[in-house]
Amino acid sequence: MKPDSSRNSWEAEIQPHQTIWSRLDHGARRLLPGILCFFIIIICAAPLPVPGITEILPAFMITTVFFWSAWHPSSMTSPVVFLLGLSMDFVNFTPLGVSALLLLLVHSVAFYSRFGITRLPFLLSWLIFAFIALGVCLLQWSFACLFRLHILTLSPALFEATLCVGFYPALSVLFSWVIQKFNDREDI
Amino acid sequence: MIPVSIQLRLALNRLTLPALILLSAGIIIAGQADRKRSEKVRMCVADALAPVWSVVTAAEERAIAVTSALHEASHLASENTRLRTENENLRRWYDVAVSLTRENDSLKTALHWIPEDAPTFVTGRVVADSGSIYARAVLLIAGADSGVKAGNIALAANGLAGRVTETGAHSARVLLITDISSRLPVLLESSHAPAIMAGDNSPMPKLMYYAQDIHPLEGERVVTGDQAGAFPAGLPVGTVHYIMPGRPVVIPYAKLDHLVLLRIFNFGQAQVEAPDAPGHVPLAPPHKTQEPPFTKLFNQG
Repeated sequence: MKPDSSRNSWEAEIQPHQTIWSRLDHGARRLLPGILCFFIIIICAAPLPVPGITEILPAFMITTVFFWSAWHPSSMTSPVVFLLGLSMDFVNFTPLGVSALLLLLVHSVAFYSRFGITRLPFLLSWLIFAFIALGVCLLQWSFACLFRLHILTLSPALFEATLCVGFYPALSVLFSWVIQKFNDREDI
Repeated sequence: MIPVSIQLRLALNRLTLPALILLSAGIIIAGQADRKRSEKVRMCVADALAPVWSVVTAAEERAIAVTSALHEASHLASENTRLRTENENLRRWYDVAVSLTRENDSLKTALHWIPEDAPTFVTGRVVADSGSIYARAVLLIAGADSGVKAGNIALAANGLAGRVTETGAHSARVLLITDISSRLPVLLESSHAPAIMAGDNSPMPKLMYYAQDIHPLEGERVVTGDQAGAFPAGLPVGTVHYIMPGRPVVIPYAKLDHLVLLRIFNFGQAQVEAPDAPGHVPLAPPHKTQEPPFTKLFNQG
C-alpha cells in the first residue's frame, strides 16, 4: 500500500524540490474529481432530453463521493464534498444544506471505514454501499417529507437507491482506472 | 503556508468534518427560518449561472437540429405530400376562422360589448430544469428586469405550464402544474363542474374535490377556473384521462418534460373586484368595545 500523499509531514524531509509544474500537477490531481463533479452538476441542470435526470444526478454524486472518499480521500476532502453538496442545493432548488449534509454523511461513513472497505472483496463492498445508499435516499425522502409536512411516495427514493447500486460497478471500473493512472504518475 | 505544529494540524483535520456537518445542519435550519433571504441568495446564483445554461441549451438545440435535419432528409418526399394535404385542410379551416371572427365582431358590436384589457406578457427561454426528485420546476431567462413578478402565469405553446414562484434580476423560476405543492382550481368543460387539479410529481396531475354526482368524462377538456381569483378562467390545461376506474387524472397540453419557450402573463390588472353587496349589514360596529353594565352609573358617582 502506498503512503498517503497528504500526510507527507510524517516523512523525512529529504524530498526532491517541487517545481511549479509538479505542484500544479499535484494540485490538479487532488481537485480533478471535485471539479468534474461540479461541471456535471451544472450541465445536468440544463434541460437535457434524458429521462430521469433528476434521479441520475444525486445517485451519481452519492456513488462518486463514496468511492473517492474510500479509495482516494485526498482527492475528495470534506470541504470539497460540502461545496459540491451546497452547489447541488443551489442549482436544484432543494432546501439549502440538505444535499451538503447527505453527501457529508456518505463521505464520513466511507472515510472512517475506508481501511475496512478497501480490504473487502468487491461484492461485499458493493453490498455495504447498497445499504449506505438506501439509508441516504431514505433520509433524503424523510427530509423532503419534513419540509413539505406531507408524506410523499417512496418510489423516487427507492429508484434513486437502485440507480446508486447500478452505477457502482461501472463507476468503480472507471474511477479505479483513473486512480491507477494517478498512482502511475506518482511513481515516475 | 502558515507553520503550525503537527498536533494542531491533525486536530484541525479531525475537526473539519464534524464542523462541516454542523455547518450544513445550521444552513438547513437558517434556510428554513429565513426563507426570503435564502431565496434571494438562490436567485442570485441562478442569475449568475443562467448564461452558462443558455450556452449548454443552445449547443443542445443545435445538435437536435442537425440530427432532425438528417432524419428529415431521408423522407422528404412523403413529408411534402403530407404537408400539402395538411395545408389544404388548414386553408379550409382558415376561411372558417375568418368568417367566425367577422361574425363574432359583428355580434359584439350589436351587443355593445365592453372589450377586456389584453394581458401583457413576456416570452422567455427555458434554460434550466430547476426541479429535483421531489420538485418540478424550470428556470427561464426573463426576470424582474423584464417585469416578471412572483405569481405570474406561465403558458407554454398550447397550454398552462405553471406559475412564477421566485424572480431574480434576469431569471425566474416557474413551479410546474405537476409539482406536488401545486393545487389549482379547474373547470371541466363538458360536465360544467369545478374541481381541483393537484400535482403529485408524476407527469399527470390528479383531479380532486369534484361534486359526487359528477363523473369527469374521458377525453374531456379541462380549463382553469376563477374560483380562487388566482387564475383567469378558461386557460387550456389538458384533457381528462382515467388511469384506473375512479381515479381521473389530467394529461397536460403543454409538453412539461421538454419546455423550450414560456410566455409569462401578468393578469394582475385584469382581476375584477366585486363591489360591496347592497343591503349588506355589518354584524357589529367595528370599533365599539364591550362595556360591563352599570359603568355609566359608576362613572357618574
